[in-house]
Amino acid sequence: MRIAEIPEQLLFHRLSTEGVGIDFGSARARVKTNLPACAASIRTVYGGYFADDPSGMFDVTVDLRRVRGIRAYVRPQCQLLCDGIVDQEPFPLDTSLPLLEWGTNYSLATRLYCYLLLHAGVVERGGRAIVMPAMPGSGKSTLTAALTLRGFRLLSDEFGVVRLRDARLLRMLRPLALKNESIDVIQRFEPTAVLGRRFPKTRKGTVAHLAPQPSHVDARQEVASPALVVFPRFDPAASVELHPVQKARAFARLAVNSFNCEALGPQAFEALSQLVAESSCWQLRYGDLNGAIKALRELLDEAKQVDGPGLLSDKREAVRW
Amino acid sequence: MDFGSPRSHAPQALRPLLLALSDPRSAASYDESGWDSLIPVARTARLLGVLAHRVYEHVDRSTLPERVQRHLDAGLTEARYRRQKTLFLLHTITPALSGHAGPWVLLKGAAYVAQDRPLGRGRLPTDVDLMVPRASLDGVEHALKSAGWVFEKTEEYDQHYYRAWSHELPPMVAAGQSMELDLHHTILPPIGRIKPDTARLFSDAMPVAGTAFHVLCPHDQLLHAIVHLVHDSDFIGRLRDLVDIDAMFRALPLTDADARAALIERARLHDMEKPLRMAAMLCRGWFETPGCEELISDTVTAGDSFFYGERVITLANRVLGPANALDGSERSRRRAGKLLEARSHWLRMPPWLLAYHTASKGVRSLAQWATKRQGAATG
Repeated sequence: MRIAEIPEQLLFHRLSTEGVGIDFGSARARVKTNLPACAASIRTVYGGYFADDPSGMFDVTVDLRRVRGIRAYVRPQCQLLCDGIVDQEPFPLDTSLPLLEWGTNYSLATRLYCYLLLHAGVVERGGRAIVMPAMPGSGKSTLTAALTLRGFRLLSDEFGVVRLRDARLLRMLRPLALKNESIDVIQRFEPTAVLGRRFPKTRKGTVAHLAPQPSHVDARQEVASPALVVFPRFDPAASVELHPVQKARAFARLAVNSFNCEALGPQAFEALSQLVAESSCWQLRYGDLNGAIKALRELLDEAKQVDGPGLLSDKREAVRW
Repeated sequence: MDFGSPRSHAPQALRPLLLALSDPRSAASYDESGWDSLIPVARTARLLGVLAHRVYEHVDRSTLPERVQRHLDAGLTEARYRRQKTLFLLHTITPALSGHAGPWVLLKGAAYVAQDRPLGRGRLPTDVDLMVPRASLDGVEHALKSAGWVFEKTEEYDQHYYRAWSHELPPMVAAGQSMELDLHHTILPPIGRIKPDTARLFSDAMPVAGTAFHVLCPHDQLLHAIVHLVHDSDFIGRLRDLVDIDAMFRALPLTDADARAALIERARLHDMEKPLRMAAMLCRGWFETPGCEELISDTVTAGDSFFYGERVITLANRVLGPANALDGSERSRRRAGKLLEARSHWLRMPPWLLAYHTASKGVRSLAQWATKRQGAATG
């Protein structure tokens, strides 16, 4: 049963007792909370996900609770327990969902050494992926959100999950966090988009979460092959400009932006080399979402297989700089 | 290696981990739910790599659920990464050390990694402890500074504290290194209650083949691990140190009467008989380490003392485990933690210095608070 279909009272009961299992594709979390407001937020932004049986093995258990003590009377706060340990500063009580999202991402980034985790948004169409590495303020989340509302399937917004043995991109489907102006931009861009409530004054400004569509949730096991690496940059003055990026440079930028490339060592090096070798790499400056989507769609159709598949010689060339 | 079965001193929630560490074959029978409670506890105790290493030695990896494999693999990956970082650090500082009188002795984790001892496999060292003779200390410090190492703590009092009363300099960091470097001239604070024979630590140190470094002799390595836990720490969340001690007791082996006698003699040389006895009591309670019973009766003349006796062990049992696998009320654990913290301070320095140090810390934090308030008022 999808989470949105569970009556609110029952969902809260389940979240506050044994928890609810949620499958993101390449990781599973057991989610618990005893805060009714948080349960309501979960029902909106995770509405399309299935409520899985919380028994068995999960990659992380996250439990959002109210902070107790005298201080709670002056300034009520909530805290997140990841596998029973508090390792984040508490948040104000009314920003429980951002804490849940942020803490879950953090715990996954520090636990999942079985994949190369890029800091990138990833969407796919016809089994071919566009990897968009994030630079703060690049408008990556906005562009990812807009693409998923126009026929691309969301694989992930925060983690580009790369399978080590063959450099395929896996799904890490999480609610997409939009910040500040992006929220209105996306709401105007697609009035039917399901956004969670807005949380003002978080450490990253105002945050709202775009709920993944049920059809994206349903394709849990799909993998995509790398086709495009695109470094987006939002520039209100530009319309749409595309510039090619050298593969060696793209490799370096992806590697430094990764969560665990260094720790994984040679395995990550090989996988990332293959990913870059098989992709065509571009810098995108855009001031207009529709124009950017059109350009990326054309680029994806053009990129076919001219740059891959990654032969060894091709790979070596790609990483020499 | 056979690790026996854990006894009753450990919290209930920790038993599966201790059992899996002691008898890795038993892990083969766990279902996903069993692993689901075991792996987070191992990760929090920083023992996931050690667990993975021991399990994979005895259980065919492919028979484990895939979700379990990937978390155990993660433990090994992180351990491999930290090992690599340790070796890289040692490689880069070697030129800076040359010209300064040795031996340059690696301690604890860095030593196990450099020697590739079985007990080092899967461990997650966070720093490198290097001991050099007192006479070389200033020279080595300057050489490291020229090579880009800097102190993290630059406050005058901190610098003074370490230099005047500690067995090590403040931790050093360098760009491009993810490990801290602690430069020691002995293994315990020279003003503390235990006075090890530092000259013998150096003269009996053994070279590590293929490197420019030495390590302590096996007895001293074990005794150092012991005093580090039962003398110089507050025990809170330090289960992994006890796991090291257990492994070294077994490697000795402690069941051998001659080996035991030699260890006790070495402990007497360093004034460490009581800590040794206490470590055996802890290992008996947590791991049923073979030979501990005999060691405890062999050292009966050292007796139970206020600082190394049953009372301290009762407190330590409450706080040794990771924070997500503890028994009892939070209040009792916090109380135990406070008492053990006070104990470690008491053992680390004489009362007059403790009073001075505490007062000085208080004054400085008050001053900081005042500056901050003033800053807030004017800014």
